[in-house]
Amino acid sequence: MTFQPLPHVFPFRFADAVVASAGRAEGRVRAAVTAGAQASRGGPLAATLYGELIAQAALLLEGGDADLGRRGFLAGISDLVVGREAVPGDVLDVDVTVAGRFGDSVKFDGRIWDASGAEVARGSIVVRHGRAA
Amino acid sequence: MSSEDLKPRVKELIVRQLKLDVDPASIKDDAPLFGDADGGLGLDSIDALELVLGVEKEFGIKVQDEEVGVKAFASVDALCDFIRAKAA
Repeated sequence: MTFQPLPHVFPFRFADAVVASAGRAEGRVRAAVTAGAQASRGGPLAATLYGELIAQAALLLEGGDADLGRRGFLAGISDLVVGREAVPGDVLDVDVTVAGRFGDSVKFDGRIWDASGAEVARGSIVVRHGRAA
Repeated sequence: MSSEDLKPRVKELIVRQLKLDVDPASIKDDAPLFGDADGGLGLDSIDALELVLGVEKEFGIKVQDEEVGVKAFASVDALCDFIRAKAA
């Protein structure tokens, strides 16, 4: 497993669509890993990007508010377990549940599955809601 | 539950929940948990969220909002007072 630096290149987006929503900030989000995506650079996703993917899924589900998603940011990753690398061609489903909220911080538990139903990765992330200026 | 029974449990909770590399017994009862004060643990807002989750899991007590949390997490003594008050 290679730990590459995060590709801070615009647009830095994985999460494509909300597949199912089960209340505020909980549900399933789909993300296709494409060969042309800046995040994959034609190869497998770096392990750290699974945390980013869970965060993007969580913020997409957090009220479905695009502005909110833009203001929120990934503040922490913990207990990340990677089963296998995701490669271009994979279509990933990300299940997100809220572990807890306090102030502007929200902790989410996420599990990432491939199209066959095998778990690709799981972990917890913390996102912070930035406040509008 | 007496204060003396509760303090070691709270210190264990802090170390376990935040994955700190310190001896729980070395945490001073009245030292500030947050900020950079001498003798404090230097915790931050993300740690506060983990503490909220830990207190809820360990004691079944919810920390309702940030204002309550700031007071409850001021120190081990303050957290013990908060837990005792909620459990009463």
